[in-house]
Amino acid sequence: MNYFPTPFQTRRAFLGRVSHGVGAVALASLLEKSSSLHAASARPAARGVVYPLPLPQKAKRVIWLTMAGGPSQFETFDPKPKLAELHGEAMPESLTRGQQLAQLQGQRLVCHAPQFPFAKFGKNQTEICSLFPHIGSVVDDICIIRSMTTDAINHDPAHMFMNTGSQIAGRPSMGAWVNYGLGSEAENLPGFVVMVSTGPGRSPQPIATRQWSSGFLPSRFQGVQLNGRGDAVHYLTNPGRVSRAQQGADVQAITALNRQHDAFVHDPEIATRIAQYEMAFQMQASVPELTDLRGEDARTLALYGCTPGDGSFAANCLLARRLAERGVRFIQLYHRDWDHHSLLKEELPLRAKEVDQACAALLTDLKQRGMLDDTLVVWTGEFGRTPMSQGNKGTVGRDHHNKSMSMWLAGGGVQRGRVYGATDELGYAAMENICTVHDLHATMLHQLGIRPDAFTVKFQGLDAKLTGVEGGGVIEGILA
Amino acid sequence: MTSWLSRAFSVARFVRSGKAALFSVARFVRSGTAASSARRPSLLSRAGLLGVASLVIAVSSSRAEDTFFAQRVAPIFEEKCVACHGEKKQKGKLRLDSFAQLMRGGEGGGVVKAGAPKASELFIRVTMDPTDEEFMPADSKPPLTPDEVKVLEVWIAAGASETALLSSIKGAPALAAPQGPTVALAPDWHPRALQIAQLEKTLGLRLVPRSHVPTDGLVLRTASSPGRCDDAALAQLASVADLIVEAELARTQITDAGLTAIAAFANLRALDLTRTAVTSAGVGKLVVLKKLESINLTSTAVDDAGVAPLRSVASLKNVWTFDTKVSPPGPR
Repeated sequence: MNYFPTPFQTRRAFLGRVSHGVGAVALASLLEKSSSLHAASARPAARGVVYPLPLPQKAKRVIWLTMAGGPSQFETFDPKPKLAELHGEAMPESLTRGQQLAQLQGQRLVCHAPQFPFAKFGKNQTEICSLFPHIGSVVDDICIIRSMTTDAINHDPAHMFMNTGSQIAGRPSMGAWVNYGLGSEAENLPGFVVMVSTGPGRSPQPIATRQWSSGFLPSRFQGVQLNGRGDAVHYLTNPGRVSRAQQGADVQAITALNRQHDAFVHDPEIATRIAQYEMAFQMQASVPELTDLRGEDARTLALYGCTPGDGSFAANCLLARRLAERGVRFIQLYHRDWDHHSLLKEELPLRAKEVDQACAALLTDLKQRGMLDDTLVVWTGEFGRTPMSQGNKGTVGRDHHNKSMSMWLAGGGVQRGRVYGATDELGYAAMENICTVHDLHATMLHQLGIRPDAFTVKFQGLDAKLTGVEGGGVIEGILA
Repeated sequence: MTSWLSRAFSVARFVRSGKAALFSVARFVRSGTAASSARRPSLLSRAGLLGVASLVIAVSSSRAEDTFFAQRVAPIFEEKCVACHGEKKQKGKLRLDSFAQLMRGGEGGGVVKAGAPKASELFIRVTMDPTDEEFMPADSKPPLTPDEVKVLEVWIAAGASETALLSSIKGAPALAAPQGPTVALAPDWHPRALQIAQLEKTLGLRLVPRSHVPTDGLVLRTASSPGRCDDAALAQLASVADLIVEAELARTQITDAGLTAIAAFANLRALDLTRTAVTSAGVGKLVVLKKLESINLTSTAVDDAGVAPLRSVASLKNVWTFDTKVSPPGPR
C-alpha cells in the first residue's frame, strides 16, 4: 500500500502521472492515519480511509436511480394546479428575468399546464402524477423532495454536478468517494457498479463513462459498468480450451511482473492494475452467479415485471438488489430518454411505465427482505424542466431548468411518507426548504456514517471534497 | 524553537508570578503566533487516527473527585483527545492524560495560558474553523460540543487550576442527564484491538467498529466473502463475543450449530441470517439474547415453530420472515 512516488521514477513517468501522484500522496497520508489497527489486518484494501466511522451508519449501501435527460417535475412529483390555470399565458417576467435557459433563450415564455392529472396516494394522501401508480402504492415509504435545485442546465455538466459536486469533468464521482472512504465490502465484485438502460424507440443522449470516473482518486475506485443485455461483462468466459486454472496462472504471472515493476517505479496505477486483474479474475466466477436469475422465483420476476436478461430498467433493478445482497456498496442505474423538449405528452408516459413498477418493486423487495432500513435508495434526474412550454422542436415539451426539480429518497434512515420543500405556485423556483446538490451529497454521506465537511483529499493544493468549496448542509428535516 | 520555548516558559512563569505586563504578554502572543505557523505539522506527521490506547486518567485521590478539573475537564480530554494525546500516542509530543502532562505542553510549548482561554493553544485549536488543518480533534473525529468548549473556556478563564473545587468555578453548562446521550452498547473494544485484528486475519471476517464511540460495539461483517464464514469461524469469536452488536451473516455457511456461538453475543442487537441453513431447531437458542432488536430470517427453513420462542425476547422489534414457511405476517 505504498503509493509514494520514488526517486526511481523517471521524470517523464512522474510528470505523466503527476495528477495521480498528487492524489496518491494524499491517499498515503490518509491511509497512514488509520493504519495503526489495520496494518495487521488480512485485507487492508477492504478498509476505507474513514475508519472508524465518525457516525454509526444508517445506510450501508446506496442504490441511485438516475433518470437521465431530466424528468419534468410537473409530470412526476410536483402538482401545480395554478400552472394549469395559466396555461398558454405569458410567464410572469418577474420570475424569469435573468434566468439562463438552454433552448428557450430569447423566446416568448408561455405557461404550460401539467399534461397529466395528479392523484392522492397512501395514508398521507400524497399527491403525485397518476402516471406512477406503483410508486404511489409505496409512497408512504418514500420521502419526496420538491425543492431540489442544481447549478447546471445542460446534460453532461448537470450529470457531472450530480455525480461529482462539480460541473467540470475530472472530479471523482460519488460512488468512487464512498468506496474510497468506506472501502469495498465485496471481494469478488467491484464496490461501485453502474448499469444503463434505455427504453425502445428514440436515441437519447449518451451517458459518458466519465460520469463514474474516480477522478483524482486511484482508479480502482471507479465505477464498473455491467451490461444489462447479453454478457454482463464482455469476454467474461475463457476462450475454448483455457481452463480456470490456466487463467488463474496467467493472472498470477502478470501480477508477479506488475509487482516487480511496481517495486521499481512505485506507481499507484500499477497497484490499481494489479487489483483490477485480480478483480476481473474473481468476476469471471462471481458475475455469472450474480446474473443467473434462475434462483429468483416467479413471484419476484412478476413483482419487477421483467424478463431476465432483457436489459430493461426493471431487470437492472432486480440486479441492483442482487448486487446489494452481495456487498456492493454503491449501485447506480441510469435510465435514459427523459429529455422531453418535444413529444412530452407522447414520450413521458412511456418512460414512466418503464420505471414505475420497477422502482416500486425494488422498494418492496428490499423492504420484505429487511434490507430497506439500511439501503439508501435515491431517485433523481440531472435537472428539472421549465414550467414554460417549448415548441421550437416540433410538438410541445419543456426545456431544461435548474431552479426547481423533484426527487425522492427511501430507506437508509430517511423519513417515510414525507414531502419536503416546495416550489412557488408555478413551480418555477424552489421556495421552501431549498436544497442543493451539495446538500444531497452531504446528506447521503452523513447517512453512510461520514462527516461530509471533514471528508477531504488534498488535490491541487486544496482540500477537495465531494460537497465542494461551498460545502453542503445535511438535510436534517428529512432524517428519521 | 528551543529559544522560543524557554522564552515562553519564562514569560509563563512571569505571568504566574502575578507581575504580568501588557508588553510582555503581547510579545508572548506574537511569538506564539509565529511559532505556531512555523511548527505547522505536515499532513503526514499529524497522522494517526485510531487510538488503540486504553484511556485512563488518574483521578484516584478522593480530593480529586471534587475538583472542577477532575469532574468536568478531564472527562472531555479522555473522550475526545487522549486517543492521540495520551499514554500510547503523543501527537505533537502532547499528552492530556493528566494535569501535569497538560501543563507540560507539547512540542510547541505550553497549551494552556491560565486566565486567557483565547490565548491558549488548547482552546484555539478546538474552536477554530473545523475545516482548518490545525483544528482538533483532527481527522474527522467528533469535535467538542459547544458545552465542552464552554467548560474549557470557564476553567481556563478561572485560572486553569488542578485543585479548584467544582463549586468554585461558575458559568459551566450543567452536566447532561445521568444516562447521557450515548448509551454504551458494548464494552470499549480498544483494549482488544490487536486480538480483533488477529481474528480478522485468521478468519477472513471483518469486525468493524460501528463508530468512533468506543462503546458503540463492533459489526461482524461477512459480505466480503460469506463462503468463509462457518460454524467453526463463529466459535472462534468467543473472546470478542460481548463486543459484537450487529452480525451480518447472510449467505454464510453457518448452521444451527453456529447459533450456539451467536447465543453468546450478549450485546447483539441485529442479526441477519438471510439464506443460511439455520432451522427452527436452532433459532430457539437465541432467546437468551436480551438486547436483540431485529432478526432477519429471510429465505431460511425456519417456520412458525421456530419463531414462536422469539416472542419471549422483549427487546425484539423486527422479525423478517420473507420467503420462509412462517405464516404471514410474521410477528412484528
